[in-house]
Amino acid sequence: MSVVRRKSWTARARERAVGALPPEKLLPDSQPSYMSSWIYVFGVLTLTALIVIIASGSILALKGPGWWHFTGIGLFFNSIHMWSVELFFFFMVIHLWGKYWMAAWRGGRARVWITGAVTFLVAVPCALSGYVSQQNFDAQWISTQAKDAMNASGIGAFWNLMNFGQMYSYHVFLLPLAVVALVIAHVLLVRKHGIVPPFELSEAQAKPASGAGPAPDSGSGGAS
Amino acid sequence: MMAAIFNLNHPAHTVHWHFFSMSVANVVVIVVMLIVFVVAILAPFPGHRGTER
Amino acid sequence: MSRESRRREDETYREWKGAYKPYDILREATIALGVVLGLALVLTILFSSPDLKPSTVQTWARSDPVDFVTTATTELDGSSAIGGYGPPYNSASDGQNIWFIHLAKWFGIAHPINTAQDFVLAPLHSLTAQPALTAAVSMYEAAPANSQTAWTGAYEKALGNASANPDGSIKVKPGNYGPLPTMMNSLLTFAQSGGLDGALLTSKQFYQTDYTKPLLFMADGGVLTNRAQQQHLLGTQWGMMNETGSYPGQVWLWLYTFWYQIKPFSTSTNADILVMAVMGVLSILFVMVPFLPGVRDLPRRVPIYKRIWRDHYRTVGASGA
Repeated sequence: MSVVRRKSWTARARERAVGALPPEKLLPDSQPSYMSSWIYVFGVLTLTALIVIIASGSILALKGPGWWHFTGIGLFFNSIHMWSVELFFFFMVIHLWGKYWMAAWRGGRARVWITGAVTFLVAVPCALSGYVSQQNFDAQWISTQAKDAMNASGIGAFWNLMNFGQMYSYHVFLLPLAVVALVIAHVLLVRKHGIVPPFELSEAQAKPASGAGPAPDSGSGGAS
Repeated sequence: MMAAIFNLNHPAHTVHWHFFSMSVANVVVIVVMLIVFVVAILAPFPGHRGTER
Repeated sequence: MSRESRRREDETYREWKGAYKPYDILREATIALGVVLGLALVLTILFSSPDLKPSTVQTWARSDPVDFVTTATTELDGSSAIGGYGPPYNSASDGQNIWFIHLAKWFGIAHPINTAQDFVLAPLHSLTAQPALTAAVSMYEAAPANSQTAWTGAYEKALGNASANPDGSIKVKPGNYGPLPTMMNSLLTFAQSGGLDGALLTSKQFYQTDYTKPLLFMADGGVLTNRAQQQHLLGTQWGMMNETGSYPGQVWLWLYTFWYQIKPFSTSTNADILVMAVMGVLSILFVMVPFLPGVRDLPRRVPIYKRIWRDHYRTVGASGA
């Protein structure tokens, strides 16, 4: 039997994927010892808020855009959707603050920061498309006001906030797809690179002196 | 129709400071965010439980 | 920090070679889901969510017929906000620009709106069995431009002192307005019956989801603005961040709306493109934080990290190993 020397696409893709994300990295049951702060819960809180947004949004989508105006149960799910959006941005921004002050892009983790930042920037128009899809006075006002910024920047030529059909399509499908894709990339990058280790303290910093230009410790690295 | 316990369907009170003008609800959200951030950093974290990151 | 020392630092932090502790990622995610769901439920039960009924051309025409007719007249002579808007609706102006960058103009007239035709003449043409109206519309369309302008100008001036009758019609001081009173009274009746809402929506085809025309028509008048002012949604009220009622709104838009409150944005006719440009640049910088000198070094200089990792520093001592 002859040996196949040329690797198939499938084999190559599988080996790359498993190499980057072996099962124990994808679903770890241990974490670095320095993860000992409540600031670390805000990533998963943001993620689960997104899950609640999508779940409640799916219920609203099941019954169509007009349903929630006329039934109590519809208003209930609309409220869950609205409050989970508030919680999503609430937790995401606190997560962002924490990650900034930890300089979490260190050690080759720039793409983690980038995917997170772009997620925020895509979530904002995703929310906007939702606000103008409400089919109530708020939607009327927001669409007729925000149109000026869209038109001035040329976006209004192909993204018409007053076109309910278009906005609903973007809100229910296209933009959530983009947000979810970005979040998946973000989370997989976190799993791949691990959580950023703490700044190393120099001898001078370890003493409780006033912060005179900290010099980073170089060379010694994270010895086990 | 299910009614909320607190009816927020009345015109918002606003906080004015120089040229800043923000609804009370938004101010509350921002203040709570700052408090939660500070508490998250300062609050002691239970050791060796490993159930929360 | 030199590039070499930065590269060395990056290698230092690439992989944690120190101690690990037990951790249950799925249990954590489940607890977090429960927490968020619980919070959303509590907030829903306590506060519900707002749902102010939309305005319609009908409710507008009934509640403020003078404003409706005034707006319709400005649409007819093109002096309304949309009449003079420019792209993407028409070529009445070039739209906003920054220096030589005319993005609105470059993208062209993507949603053509002829305010006279779309908001006034076409709806009036659709009304049948009204010979006086048909004659009035024909008279207006056949008249030279300066006659049309004279009629609309005089009528708009008179409308400034007009009043509404109890039956919903309007009372205007007699004057030389040509066929306008007949046209506008018919349009008003059409609007108050609810027919104009449908006519503006389905002008292109039966199945429609594009509310551009009825929304722009209402936005040119006062009906939406008056409600917005009561709800603190105007731009001058930082309305972009606000929700109707006393609900929290879009707090994350704080910086976006901030620029509109200060010069030069607050007094510029190009405010929108200027603000979008500033926010566009800031957004790119936000994404590029790991590469920005100074910004990327600030966390090292501010000892918030010492609080976050205090347990770690206490355990391992000065070397950080």
